[in-house]
Amino acid sequence: MSLLEIRDLHISYPNPKGEFFAVDGVDLTIEKGEFVGLAGESGCGKTTLALSIPRLLPRGSHIGAGSIHFNGVDTTALSEEGMRALRWKEISVVFQGALNALNPVHTIGSQIAEPIRIHDESVSKKQAHDRTLELLEAVGIPARRFEDFPHQFSGGMRQRVMIAMALSCMPKLVIADEPITALDVMTQAQILDLLRSLCDRYSLSMLLISHDLSVLAQTCDRVAVMYAGKMAEQGPTSRVFGNHGAKHPYTQRLLSAYPNIKHERKFIDGIPGYPPDLSQEQVGCRFADRCDVALSRCATEVPELIDIGGGQSVACHLASDIRAGVQ
Amino acid sequence: MPFLLRRFFTLLSSIFAIVTFNFFLFHIIPGDPIRLIARTQRLNAEAIAKMRASFGLDGSILSQYFRYLSKLVHGDLGYSFSFKENVSGLVGRALGNTLLLLTASTLIVVILGIAIGVFAGSRQGKKSDTATVISSLILWSMPTFWVGMLLVFTFGVWVGGLPISGISTANAVYSNGFEYFMDISRHLILPTVTLAIVDIAFFIIITRTALIDVMSEDYMLTARGKGLGRRAIVWRHGFRNAMLPVLTASALYISALVGGAIQVEVVFSWPGMGLLMYNSVLARDYPVLEASFLLTTVAVLVANFAADLLYRVLDPRVAVSK
Amino acid sequence: MMKRDRTSANHGFWYFMGKLWADRMGRWGLIALAITTFIAVICPIFFPFDPSKVGADAASILTGPSKTHLLGSDELGRDVLRQFFTGARISLFVGIMATVISTIVGSGLGIFAGYYMGRLDGILMRITDFFLVVPALPLMIALGAIFGQNITVIIMVIGFLSWPRTARIVRSQTLSLRQRQFVPRAKSLGSSNLRIIRTHIVPHVMPLIVANTILVVAGCILSEATLSFIGLGDPDRISWGTMLHFSFVSGAIGRGAWWYFLPPGFGILFIVLGFTLVGHSFEKITNPRLGGSE
Ligand SMILES: Nc1ncnc2c1ncn2[C@@H]1O[C@H](COP(=O)(O)OP(=O)(O)OP(=O)(O)O)[C@@H](O)[C@H]1O
Ligand SMILES: [Mg+2]
Repeated sequence: MSLLEIRDLHISYPNPKGEFFAVDGVDLTIEKGEFVGLAGESGCGKTTLALSIPRLLPRGSHIGAGSIHFNGVDTTALSEEGMRALRWKEISVVFQGALNALNPVHTIGSQIAEPIRIHDESVSKKQAHDRTLELLEAVGIPARRFEDFPHQFSGGMRQRVMIAMALSCMPKLVIADEPITALDVMTQAQILDLLRSLCDRYSLSMLLISHDLSVLAQTCDRVAVMYAGKMAEQGPTSRVFGNHGAKHPYTQRLLSAYPNIKHERKFIDGIPGYPPDLSQEQVGCRFADRCDVALSRCATEVPELIDIGGGQSVACHLASDIRAGVQ
Repeated sequence: MPFLLRRFFTLLSSIFAIVTFNFFLFHIIPGDPIRLIARTQRLNAEAIAKMRASFGLDGSILSQYFRYLSKLVHGDLGYSFSFKENVSGLVGRALGNTLLLLTASTLIVVILGIAIGVFAGSRQGKKSDTATVISSLILWSMPTFWVGMLLVFTFGVWVGGLPISGISTANAVYSNGFEYFMDISRHLILPTVTLAIVDIAFFIIITRTALIDVMSEDYMLTARGKGLGRRAIVWRHGFRNAMLPVLTASALYISALVGGAIQVEVVFSWPGMGLLMYNSVLARDYPVLEASFLLTTVAVLVANFAADLLYRVLDPRVAVSK
Repeated sequence: MMKRDRTSANHGFWYFMGKLWADRMGRWGLIALAITTFIAVICPIFFPFDPSKVGADAASILTGPSKTHLLGSDELGRDVLRQFFTGARISLFVGIMATVISTIVGSGLGIFAGYYMGRLDGILMRITDFFLVVPALPLMIALGAIFGQNITVIIMVIGFLSWPRTARIVRSQTLSLRQRQFVPRAKSLGSSNLRIIRTHIVPHVMPLIVANTILVVAGCILSEATLSFIGLGDPDRISWGTMLHFSFVSGAIGRGAWWYFLPPGFGILFIVLGFTLVGHSFEKITNPRLGGSE
């Protein structure tokens, strides 16, 4: 049984014309101890997908069809009480923009310690305190800063506080939503190493969201690429990001748009055009307008996400044609 | 503590400004106040001379000003012709009674106002929230004195049951201190309720707005993500942050409170600064009016100073020392 | 040449009326204002109040509602309903005139402080803060008592003491507009400061000024009522506040003459609530971030 299994998930937000699907039929699986990267352009629905797992979506949003199984339990069917017990204890989040995710009027120590005693009443204050000190040490913040307030820390340090906080209950799954976007390159590398080593040490699974593919390539076992609310491609990092591994034209363009990790940086070669307006009715492949190699059927038929072997799956008519040709 | 010092200096300079302002307001602008008074009262030459001296109206403006300052420093606020008494004694007694009224109603306003404001704000958009907002707006739109008149009518004429005038029963003989205390408490009820009713609306609306703003902050999502219950989310994480803008608005509240107290004292004949002010307006007793205006304003400045300090305590971002 | 903000008041009067009408709070507010305006403007024409038309004898004093006096009579035997109509007119008039003064002073100071920044801003804001903390009612009472009981004094006193909040709000908006691109650019193109203020600042702060003004009217009407109640009203121009003053000092409450002190109070509540609702609704329309209370 996988730790997390998302099947055909649909999530809508209201808009003046009714509603639109920011996540539109997405599948995603995370195994125990696995690191999964989630990539995609801004606005493609990464955060929406991630926050649906601990059910932290803003008011007005709505989970339509589909299911989310966590550890075998369908969380979409769970009561609010049942969900509360899972939050942080089993699933914790390093929120996008951690700068504001810490409460300015409480000390960082108390914020890290807070969830420990909520989820396990048998833990004494002293134990929670000790555990917090341990966590602070693990993320490289001196214990004497326990009583300091968030504004007394730099951005990178606050990010590390967030990570310590996310680990305070030793959850099974950590969702890290762009944990390093606002930081400089050196700090980014530090924090990534830290995340990776901590999760390895405590054998946690992680969903790491970033639009920076090189980050995912360094850290993750598997990667998933979203485009306009749909999964475009997913598979083992080595395959998808390997030479000629990416099968979806969008992934290919993304890979060439980012500075190559192995080679020296090159000028960013953006993808012309914009993602489609999701509030409009979608027909065919959502990437078709921007795709160099679109076929005529791409404009009318929605490509299914299909397994092309080696744990990789792609939602592209071209890829399915290749596969059909091979068979 | 440089901040405390700086803020204290600001307080002192504001007090100085208001004293100077007060001097110009009552001694310069009206021209000869004696003429004003003589217009409304029949005065003989002796009384006029006495008044002229008590107003410090001889000599140049500057020397008048310094004499005024030195009198103030010595606690000499002049002599009241209508009350036939030194003004300082008058306002001293009145100030105590007003503070009693203000404390009682502020307690109610702050505790109930915050509770209701948080209740409404954490249920934004629901029926209970809309009902709270609308009733608050209605309460806010009522003149304080009229609310007092309605209560006087209800409890003094129509239903009865509560004293509607003064601070204690006239000519009452008390067998012990407790009886006296109870008598004052009974007299305190209606004025306090009147003052609270109108001001609480203000407090509810501000608290609600502040909480709604805070609820959309990122750290509130963190709190929810941690698996906290709704109450812990609102109170432990939202409340203290929401109190910061509420405190910022306290200057307005203090001003409104003082304005309300004046009206309530008039309606219920509560012997405080407001009633004193009212009576001095009716009698055109300028020394009393001047002193009560000065004292009220200085008290308000001090209250604002205290609110600023409290803000420092609540918000670690601006706190200078632990 | 210059791009206009979408927030600017380029929309017409009817656009905002439509928006207000579409909002539940705004609609009730508009209805309340329409009714009171009707009472204030039209009714006194057909039912004028003659203060000298006092009752013939003691029996005509503080009588309850009857055929001759639909809302009873006052302590001098005069008709309360006619007084109520005239009172609406005076209350509304004083409230609006005071608001005009307050808005001109407040937005003027706010725009100049925010536009010229620096030393001028520092001084103006120091003064503003001073008037912001000084409690308004005692100051109004003091000024009212010194300058005497007449309607011009009341309007001036209220108007000149109600501007600090407007000044603060307008200043911060101006300041943020000032720091945007188009001001330095317009300057480099040779526009004079006054011209820039007129063409770039004023249109953008207008919605804010209007929203604030509507709320200020509510405050000014309440201030007028309070001052008049304290006994500083113009005895020749009876407002709702003055009516309440006379009903209070004549002992109407003790005699249970509810027809004398209920109508003016409800009148004030009604009109102040009307302005408050419209003001809040207008704020919501021009600043969507505030929305969602419905
Ligand atoms: N609260 C909301 N109400 C309405 N629409 C929303 C809301 N939050 C997000 N959306 C919309 O849903 C879509 C997906 O947003 P989401 O935040 O999931 O994107 P993202 O992939 O995380 O982007 P980024 O990389 O910029 O963080 C966007 O079109 C966004 O405009
Ligand atoms: Mg995101």
